[in-house]
Amino acid sequence: MPVDASPSDFESALKPLWLRAQSGDDAAYRQCLGLLAARLRAYLKRRLSAFPDEVEDLVQETLLALHLQRGTYDPTLPVSAWAVAIARHKLVDLWRRRGRREGLHDALDDVDEQLLAAEPQDAGARRDLGLLLNLLPQAQREAIVLTKLEGLSVAEAAARTQASESAIKVQVHRGLKRLAALVRGDTPP
Amino acid sequence: MKTDTLIDLLARGAGPAPRALAWRRLSPAGVAGLLASAALAVAAFGPVPAAMWATAIPWAKMAYAGALALAAGWLTARLSQPAAPLVRPQRVAAAVVLAMAACGAVSLWREPAGARMAALLGQSWAVCPLNVLALSLPALAASLWAVRGLAPTRPRAAGFAAGVLAGALGACGYALSCPEASPAFVAVWYTLGIALTGALGAALGPRVLRW
Repeated sequence: MPVDASPSDFESALKPLWLRAQSGDDAAYRQCLGLLAARLRAYLKRRLSAFPDEVEDLVQETLLALHLQRGTYDPTLPVSAWAVAIARHKLVDLWRRRGRREGLHDALDDVDEQLLAAEPQDAGARRDLGLLLNLLPQAQREAIVLTKLEGLSVAEAAARTQASESAIKVQVHRGLKRLAALVRGDTPP
Repeated sequence: MKTDTLIDLLARGAGPAPRALAWRRLSPAGVAGLLASAALAVAAFGPVPAAMWATAIPWAKMAYAGALALAAGWLTARLSQPAAPLVRPQRVAAAVVLAMAACGAVSLWREPAGARMAALLGQSWAVCPLNVLALSLPALAASLWAVRGLAPTRPRAAGFAAGVLAGALGACGYALSCPEASPAFVAVWYTLGIALTGALGAALGPRVLRW
């Protein structure tokens, strides 16, 4: 799909993929996150002209938030509207942390018009998530490393760590939440 | 870490997304808040006389507070989801408040002219809103906790909705103890107490509902 597709083309391509991802299709989910990352990068780059180095970090922070809040997506909504609302929330949060007062001038509901041509290049975030992973508590880090980095199934990870399968899932979720919090509060080196 | 690596990490083994998340968090918070309000009301103010339950009065109060709680709960759930439409739950909540106001107005009109002020003020008009607010505090804490685990992108509005929900649950509990009989009283003073809780929720929202 061309990266500079119009917002409505983007949405009509994204939505069926996203619905499959929501039902458990990991490959579709991976594809959706890639598409969203490119669009969000362009959206945030336009609004972070004062802090260009922060763009990729905010893209990653937003992707983490999208993942952790997948349950709040309502199928009657456009996926891009949902994703941009989350991105904008993170953006406002960043401005508040950087001392700029809240007060967005673009209309709250005008989300679709804000999506521009996508930016596929991954400039690389400043915060090293790999380092932040090491800051997680042992159980959370282990669950994430085993299931997400080493590619073990939940059952295999449970057998390796002598924990239950639901315990592994809980630790992964908590670990990602902790990672998101670290990405929020961490100051770049 | 490159963003692509993060995406791989998130997508691997992700599985299906959790469903009906907002209601699954708000419902137990609402039930807990309601039980706390009822227990506190009976403990602090004592229950109304048993004979009152044979009349429509306490039931009508609970019906108003219950209907407003459901409408506010719906609105709160929507405000906990990014970009979700708000018009329908807003309209339902407004309709509940207006219906109660209409009942109150009709009941006042039916009173003889000299008795209207007495009916409206009852014996406890000054403390009623504050009692409702006080009884709503556990429900407010529970609702804000529930919303905080979701994705409210308008924290002040979400705080207000959670506050109205909590206030309505507090008012429901207060109905167990409140001796007043006039629908006009309920329409004004209960609603004021609920609005105060809403205002408190709105003030706390931007601070508490960060994620």
